Amino acid sequence: MMPCVVLALGLIFRLPFGRAFRAGLTVGFGFVGIGLIINLIFGNMGPVMESLIRDTGLRLAALEVGWPAAAAVAFGTRVGALIFAVGILTNLAMVLLRLTRTLNVDIWNYWHWSLSGSLVMVVTGSLWFGLLAAVAHAVFTLKMADYTAPRIQAFFGTPGITISQGFAMANMPIIMPVVWLVDRIPGIDRISADPVAIQKRLGFLGQPAVLATGLTVIAGLVARQPAGTALRLGVAMGAVFLLLPRVVAILMEGMTPFAEAAGEFMRKRAGDRPVHIGMDCAIGVGHPTNMAAALLMVPISLLLAAILPGNRLLPFGDLAGTAYFSVMITPWTRGNLVKTMIVGIVLKATVMYMGSDWAPLFTRAADAAGFPLPEGAALVTVFGNPFAWVCVRLTQLFF
Amino acid sequence: MDTRKRILIVCGSGVATSTVVAQRVRAILDQSGLEADLRQCAVMDAAHEAKGADLIIATTQVSADLGVPVINGIPFLIGVGAERLAAQIVAQLKQ
Repeated sequence: MMPCVVLALGLIFRLPFGRAFRAGLTVGFGFVGIGLIINLIFGNMGPVMESLIRDTGLRLAALEVGWPAAAAVAFGTRVGALIFAVGILTNLAMVLLRLTRTLNVDIWNYWHWSLSGSLVMVVTGSLWFGLLAAVAHAVFTLKMADYTAPRIQAFFGTPGITISQGFAMANMPIIMPVVWLVDRIPGIDRISADPVAIQKRLGFLGQPAVLATGLTVIAGLVARQPAGTALRLGVAMGAVFLLLPRVVAILMEGMTPFAEAAGEFMRKRAGDRPVHIGMDCAIGVGHPTNMAAALLMVPISLLLAAILPGNRLLPFGDLAGTAYFSVMITPWTRGNLVKTMIVGIVLKATVMYMGSDWAPLFTRAADAAGFPLPEGAALVTVFGNPFAWVCVRLTQLFF
Repeated sequence: MDTRKRILIVCGSGVATSTVVAQRVRAILDQSGLEADLRQCAVMDAAHEAKGADLIIATTQVSADLGVPVINGIPFLIGVGAERLAAQIVAQLKQ
């Protein structure tokens, strides 16, 4: 469906037919590629996870698949097919009505709004409720982006820009109060940690493919697979981490012509109003504190998954995505690594519980998006987005 | 001297914005008749990949001391200042 949507949107934005067609086709190829990788994951990890759960009593039955797969799911549902039109119209309407100063230019960001919408659609069985949730998330994101713009611009040195990414903005209601509390811990300002030194020592944790291979081999051995099998599984899972981003790049390549045209369109229609250009939190990833925090979050995520009572989410895909997680924390802790880690742990635990909680829903959404899981496979999930989770829980009260 | 220049395009993930920037850079190279090898990588790998690069274009923060000139690629993403950035890149490559 998305390839047709991309083709149609390309034509609406007056791209030449050949270009729009090729773009749509490229997006289709990207989806096929992602489907292949997801099957690769379950073909290999499924049996290992089942043995692990059976033999060691691990209750971590929901495999966290990471943001690329989550984006593919979010774009693959009916809400996903409509999210570009809905998102662009919502943003433009809000700007023209002076309800926001943020113009979200990064089309890839729409997958977060679509995830909220898709999950609500799965709960309610209604496309309209799903779209409503997506719009609500969009409105929330844009308002929050307005609010956080001054701090973001000052800290990252990027004038005129803000971050209008759905996951990052949904975390702000948690981040801001926790930072406030952490600032009041007696003596907290006297502890320091050097981000650069940590990057040097722990750099290996930033190699997701190698890490995935190592962890899978260990998991395989713990699940009592023969060494040869464990090694083969390890290489397969490392390959997933190498291949998945490249396949997602294909998907993004297909979306780029339309994305650029849409960005132009929005800028023109916004007229002379002063706007913040809303981007993805990737622009803040390279800050030294964030990079150090990203490395530290890898073992911490796994530890949290093991010790948090009632959690069933097994971090996996996120191992490659920890860099995005703490970007929004750093401006509020002014780059202080210790405070960032404390806030990060609280946030991670929260979104882990949310992701664990909605795993059955996400699995159904994946199915609705055209990524059915093999029979008897464990659940799949992704780390919770607080706004989406609240929407889901609210609608579950009524449906 | 005909050794091709090597441009490293750095973004948060190595796939998202760096793909957009890579497409733009290819167009710029075609237009100005220059040749260069393009590589994309995530910022985590930037220190390692920077060896052998002649120019880095980044859409995220990068530590300045990689021994290679770093140009901010964000104008390509937001559409403001894109022409100036293109000229900057061409000038850098012609050095």
